[in-house]
Amino acid sequence: MSQRGGAQRPNGAAQGKICQFKLVLLGESAVGKSSLVLRFVKGQFHEYQESTIGAAFLTQTVCLDDTTVKFEIWDTAGQERYHSLAPMYYRGAQAAIVVYDITNQDTFGRAKTWVKELQRQASPNIVIALAGNKADLSNKRMVEYEEAQGYAEENSLLFMETSAKTAMNVNDIFLAIAKKLPKSDSGGQSGQRPQPGVRLNEQNQASEGGCCK
Amino acid sequence: MSSGLVQNDVDGYGFQRPSNFNHGEYDAFMAEYLPVMTRRALRWEKVIGNASRINKSRTVKRFCRKGIPASLRPMVWMSITGADVRMESNPHLYQQMLSANHDRELTETIEMDIHRTFPDNAYFSNPNDNKCLRKPLYNILISIGHRNKTIAYCQGMNFIAGLMLLIMKDEDKYEEKVFWLMDTLINNILPDYYHPDMHAIQVDQELLGELVKWKYPAIHTHLDHLGLQWCLIGMKWFICIFADVLPIDTVLRVWDCLFSEGPKILLRVALAIVCRNQEKILKCKNFSEVTDLFQEAVVGSDSLHCHSFLKCMFEELGSLPMARVNRVREEVKTRV
Repeated sequence: MSQRGGAQRPNGAAQGKICQFKLVLLGESAVGKSSLVLRFVKGQFHEYQESTIGAAFLTQTVCLDDTTVKFEIWDTAGQERYHSLAPMYYRGAQAAIVVYDITNQDTFGRAKTWVKELQRQASPNIVIALAGNKADLSNKRMVEYEEAQGYAEENSLLFMETSAKTAMNVNDIFLAIAKKLPKSDSGGQSGQRPQPGVRLNEQNQASEGGCCK
Repeated sequence: MSSGLVQNDVDGYGFQRPSNFNHGEYDAFMAEYLPVMTRRALRWEKVIGNASRINKSRTVKRFCRKGIPASLRPMVWMSITGADVRMESNPHLYQQMLSANHDRELTETIEMDIHRTFPDNAYFSNPNDNKCLRKPLYNILISIGHRNKTIAYCQGMNFIAGLMLLIMKDEDKYEEKVFWLMDTLINNILPDYYHPDMHAIQVDQELLGELVKWKYPAIHTHLDHLGLQWCLIGMKWFICIFADVLPIDTVLRVWDCLFSEGPKILLRVALAIVCRNQEKILKCKNFSEVTDLFQEAVVGSDSLHCHSFLKCMFEELGSLPMARVNRVREEVKTRV
């Protein structure tokens, strides 16, 4: 019924734990942050995606072996003046996707600034992924793959070029993040703010996950 | 998209209805709402006659709370905000702003958002249509940005100006009128809201939190326990003054009051959303449930029924004394 384009969804019951992570998307205006989230959460793409004001909140679940990973996603506004609000969204985040547009060199520069800010001010163990979006427009490319990859390696970032339009690498980047996140076994209650890799009460969460039933 | 019986997929303002749009419920709402508005229109005509301007008065304030009829809305908005007087006293200003040499960065920023403003609306989606409002929207935003150098352009202003255009588009000089309405909004009605430091808007989110604590202490305690901060939920509400947030008829009713009474209305709207969803909020077990709830509540049936929504804003909420609001605002200013 729904057009969920979730990542790997191995059949069979989830035996294991459910982990919940807060993930934030950052990057210059119009690089495709909302489009990446829309593709990941609903499997959809709109050529003209409304500008995001403030931030939008969405959730999506992926399954990794015996673990169900639930992402709480904050998709933020890209305009520079919203920058001062960003700490509110990345505070306590366990993961971030910093997005740039491969057809626009300025957006890559802006992405580097975001990475620096996260390294300095976000949680020390935050998993950061760099996404070079609009990879379907490679004939207009202004940021070389090797340049971004080199930068990502130097800064220990996950890196992929993505296309929200064709769905290329969209699920993969979220899945790669899920793999890299620590799945701790320490207990936690679903009513609290998520702790890093909190293991949720499965009875509470099982009905809303949407996968691994 | 759908086959067979085609119901109206586009509403009266040109907005594409979502695929899960509840036609039955909407029709029931309109059956109830249209006669109300027809009665209001008759009352308004008695007060206004064929005047082209109205003065603020207690009656006008009361009438605005009960809704401005669609046919009178452009004139009444221009009048109660004082935008009409400013336009008349500066007859060439809009053209000057429009034909000036515009800053390149400003131009680029605005251009990027023009096709991202109501992309599903019939009046914004097709640039080849001569009724398309993209060009007027660009003209207004660039002129506003050029005139107000500090504010320049804040994302969200595109939705406000876009909705104003949809309401004013059949008027004479509608582009110039929306320019003046926008200029009055950002300078007189909500001064500081669109300032690049976004301080005022963050202060008002904190203020909202304090007012929830005062009016609905149990809700406040519960939201606090779930880790919800108002600025996570309410930023778009306030920046867009509920455009692209609440159902369109409700937004228009909110604007009727905002333009007549000022910014306190925004707090009343936010409190009404809380008020109408108290039970549901208390049932939420975690952060993502309550965040989802608010995202659904603003478009849901409780918000669609604009007449009872507005009633809640004023009657059920009770008094919201300006002195108290201002005092609390000063208190929270120190911690933002």
